[in-house]
Amino acid sequence: MKPVFVSNLKPFLDAVAEQMELYIPKKTEQHYTYNKYDPDSETPAELNNIRTCTMVKEFLFPVCEFAAVFPEPAEPEEIGPFAVFGLKECDLRSIEILDKVFTEEEFQDPLYMKRRENMFIIASDCFDPGKSCFCNFFNGKAFAQSGFDLSVSKIRDGFIVEAGSDKGEDFIEKHPQLFSKVPEALLSERDKNRDKTQKQLEENNAKYKLDLPIKEIVEDSWESDVFDVEAKACVECQACTRICPTCHCFYLYDTRQKDYFAKMKMWDGCMRQAYAAVAGGANPRKILGDRIKHRLMHKLVYFLDRYGLDMCVGCGRCIDTCAGEIDMRSILKKLNEELKDKGKTKAKVIK
Amino acid sequence: MSENPYQPINGKIVDIIDESPTTKSFVVVPEEKIKFETGQFVELTLPGEGEAPFTPSSSPADSEKMEITIMKAGHVTALLHQCKKGQKVGIRGPFGNGYPIDDFAGREVYIVGGGVGLAPIRSLFLTLVDRIKDFKSVVCRFGAKTPDDFIYKSDLFGPWQKIRGVNMKLTVDKANGKWRDNVGVVTTILTPQDVDVRNSVAVVCGPPIMMKFATLKLLEFGFKPADIYLSMEKNMSCGIGKCGHCMIGKYYVCKDGPVFTYEQIKNYPDIWA
Repeated sequence: MKPVFVSNLKPFLDAVAEQMELYIPKKTEQHYTYNKYDPDSETPAELNNIRTCTMVKEFLFPVCEFAAVFPEPAEPEEIGPFAVFGLKECDLRSIEILDKVFTEEEFQDPLYMKRRENMFIIASDCFDPGKSCFCNFFNGKAFAQSGFDLSVSKIRDGFIVEAGSDKGEDFIEKHPQLFSKVPEALLSERDKNRDKTQKQLEENNAKYKLDLPIKEIVEDSWESDVFDVEAKACVECQACTRICPTCHCFYLYDTRQKDYFAKMKMWDGCMRQAYAAVAGGANPRKILGDRIKHRLMHKLVYFLDRYGLDMCVGCGRCIDTCAGEIDMRSILKKLNEELKDKGKTKAKVIK
Repeated sequence: MSENPYQPINGKIVDIIDESPTTKSFVVVPEEKIKFETGQFVELTLPGEGEAPFTPSSSPADSEKMEITIMKAGHVTALLHQCKKGQKVGIRGPFGNGYPIDDFAGREVYIVGGGVGLAPIRSLFLTLVDRIKDFKSVVCRFGAKTPDDFIYKSDLFGPWQKIRGVNMKLTVDKANGKWRDNVGVVTTILTPQDVDVRNSVAVVCGPPIMMKFATLKLLEFGFKPADIYLSMEKNMSCGIGKCGHCMIGKYYVCKDGPVFTYEQIKNYPDIWA
């Protein structure tokens, strides 16, 4: 299906909101967060130039939820269709990562599955990558490549809308009054915008440019003391794992309610000291530097080995949030330099 | 298994056996039959308090009930130790991979166990003994801190030693008056003559430090890393390879283990911690 044109966001969003609950980004000070769309609101909806501050995982994997109720199982929570507007390429890649974990055939997470099946994804182009954005490290782009129902690109006089799924095509077909044909000139304007953003991303990250594949940098740095040095700046607040769109660790805990018991599923993170400790007291990562190392190993080595994907999308939220100003790019750069000093060159790693 | 992997099957503790000053066995009857393979584990819930992972110590052949041997070590286990017969519990599982006992056929099975690590080994031992003729022999080397700390004393100190095809030696770190057997950690009773290394598999289960040194000794004897089976203890929570707590490198102990060959995990530097 060819891309279509819409001059104004409001009728488009109204049409989505007629069918399902719709969440749109709203700017609060310098950050965007998601709010429920109100068609009667006086402030016009805007398209976020950059990813939101909050992560899309909150729509699929809430901070805390009922995993099971017993002895009598409870009726599963009703989840209706909902749409999220303005998601960026990095957000879509994070969904792809979470899908690997929670929807794999052997053990599907019924709580995640239900929300995922009901989610309508409206992506959008990035216009203004942040200083911490480094999706280009992971072949990220300034526009949605796959994994969306509709994708919206802002151009000077309106918006280009493209379908990325049957559900998306269906929506466009059912609303012929909203959309018109896109002239070629507007498509090339869109492509120019995209190239510009991409170039800016590359420029922003030029000083972090790596000589070796990321996986090899991390995998070969087991003995490096960079992690312990970085740990000196870490205050163990765990914000990096909380705000990460791909971190998906959780713990199950039991509660006693008035007339039933419940197992709760709640976010957890590997930066917490007792995270991997066992009852006997053994703890493979008592030392903070080892936990920072594990976090990177999991994201950039283990997950790739297991699922064929990096578990980092380069959104930079962990960089923005870190009280100790720890920056994953500079860790990678330091490890890269260390390996280079040891004589590991590109020529050697190509097998 | 229930469609919701987090939903426990209701069950009841019908008997409690004192094994040692720190360890009790709980006989649990689930409302639905739970079929498991020896070496797989379950998550046992004490309603309202918490759950913890345990490998059943009974034979999978007994599908009516499940025995779970538990050492008092943390919050949930301490509370379980206070429970009485009739206590309602929840069970999730079974999870993970058990021992591939069909692959052990025709070979000697060399079992090295220590402390409460004998719990999964008991299930394996009973399973092997059920079809003892399939194996060249079952050679057991078990240790405990003191004679009192041995679990399954009534089996270990008599009947199991007399089973044809079983060769068993016991040791304690510290003897008391009545002990006439070996004294020393379990690695002190391992010798290269115990089994024919070329046609054996080794199974190791016990405290991390014991597993480390037993594995090193087995390698010294010439065991291939792929013939050493380790039952790994990590902080398994969800049981389905998602929550992240039990990772060893790319593996989730709950899903890819808890039984691993040393070959699978030997390159990860932190496996014994």
